[in-house]
Amino acid sequence: MITGMDRLTAAVNGTTSDRIPVFCNLIDQGAKELGMPLKQYFSKGEYVAEAQLRMREKYGYDNVWSLFYVGKEAELLGCRRIIFAAEGSPNVGEMILKNYDDIHKLQVPDDLTGHPAFEEPLKCLKILRKEVGGRYPICAYVTASMTLPAMLIGMEKWMELFLLGPAEVRDELLTKCSDFFRKEIEAYRAAGADILVYANAFGSTDFIPMNLFRERSLYWMKRDLQPGGTNGLVYYCGGARMNPVIDQVIEQLGITTFYLSPLDDLAEGKKIINGRALTCGVINDIKLIDWSKEEIRTEVKRMLAAGMPGGKFLFGTLVMPYAIPEENIRTMLEAVYETGSQ
Amino acid sequence: MNELVTATTRKFTEAILDTDRERALQAVQYAVDQGLMPEDVVFRVVIPTIDRMVRSISENFGASLAQHFITSQIAAEVTEQMIPKFKQRKNVIGHVVIGTSQGDFHGLGKRIVTGCLKAMTIDVTDLGLNVSPQRFVEAAIEGKAQVIGISSMMIHTARGETGCLGVRKILQDAGMEHKIKIIVGGAPYRYDHELYKMVKADAWADNGIEAGEVISKLIREATS
Repeated sequence: MITGMDRLTAAVNGTTSDRIPVFCNLIDQGAKELGMPLKQYFSKGEYVAEAQLRMREKYGYDNVWSLFYVGKEAELLGCRRIIFAAEGSPNVGEMILKNYDDIHKLQVPDDLTGHPAFEEPLKCLKILRKEVGGRYPICAYVTASMTLPAMLIGMEKWMELFLLGPAEVRDELLTKCSDFFRKEIEAYRAAGADILVYANAFGSTDFIPMNLFRERSLYWMKRDLQPGGTNGLVYYCGGARMNPVIDQVIEQLGITTFYLSPLDDLAEGKKIINGRALTCGVINDIKLIDWSKEEIRTEVKRMLAAGMPGGKFLFGTLVMPYAIPEENIRTMLEAVYETGSQ
Repeated sequence: MNELVTATTRKFTEAILDTDRERALQAVQYAVDQGLMPEDVVFRVVIPTIDRMVRSISENFGASLAQHFITSQIAAEVTEQMIPKFKQRKNVIGHVVIGTSQGDFHGLGKRIVTGCLKAMTIDVTDLGLNVSPQRFVEAAIEGKAQVIGISSMMIHTARGETGCLGVRKILQDAGMEHKIKIIVGGAPYRYDHELYKMVKADAWADNGIEAGEVISKLIREATS
């Protein structure tokens, strides 16, 4: 039986399998799958693992996730308040850094694997590794040092410090976030995650101008990745566009998988990558809430026509909104399985 | 004087595109020292720069969030410095109440919009984060605002009953829809350009800079 890992390996190597790989990122939907509120669902690694396995089995796509919610990283750094919604992703409810003095006091935990906030994700990873390890890629979400401060001090204050604040305070915070990143990615790798989604909105020129991308983003990304390397790493800008920076990311960081934005021109992205890396075409999954079946099929066909020629391609989603009807998820996946067969 | 305005606008715009606050403020200070009137700084340098930014975004989708942020912050700062020096009291164009939808704690977009509105001499009441529909409407009535601005970063806070839909229902029940207009913005609207209709807003804006322009139009509609 062909597994998700077989499909992914074929795509990475530029060969073919039965079909292109499909990464469908169902995170909050796990709660629906187990019939429990989101807060209860995210309280146990066993719940998340069980839902991930069930949903992958039910829909037939190729990946599973160890991600609970993005705010977990803030919890690892001391945040004690997460606000859960009834039908959407949880929010960080408390910024642990309120002023520059808090930045000086911020401490990166020595051992993440022993941290209480990491206990349940580790349980989840252990189960996933036991059940599907080696057969289906296990994904973990790691936020880059440039973007992590948004969760600690808030996006407004981070943008202010980043652009207008004292350079030594900005760099102190970035150094701490980069140190945290290095430990976090190492911990996820050690726990069995194969795919490390390197999330960095500040790695997109939708967020910062090109001069700052060159001066700062590249510098901090190099620092983040220097000890652990880029094996299994996926370049992802949190849904922001990346086509203008792909060349530099390949040349200077050596990253070989690009998870484009739905707003990127997919054909142009593939042309820029030009066989040097794997391209993931990403559907605009907010539209999946309301699109008709026909609209979904048409969009999938359009994307695959742009992305499949030349191989080294997979199909993906962003973080699928909770409100997407199950039949629309099925329609999207069936269209990819059919059109993406090789 | 026209040459001074042109040169200042060029320097000011370049500094903003480079996200260089100091250079932008220096350009303005130099112009004032050379005799440029405070009114000209606001209406012939700052506001045209915002307009130019809007055009550059719509033409090539080129300006980044950081550039929007810097533009709005510096524009607001310069305008606030200049207004007390105006020969005549400024004419306020209108009043907007703004906040993020209930359950949403992402305030950057709102801050960019607020900065631009201040630069355009529009009064702004910032209600902060996680604002209930009732609070939006109460504040708008209390402040005689023509526009309610609702920013949402997450799809469930954009589409939910306690977001724009809730504000619309209250306005509808109170028969105030002609007096108070609603604008929405934030990431979900950039991924679905029809979403603003679904949540029953009067308009949306792709980014904070453009929001200033759209809100000016809504104020005109509400007061006509």
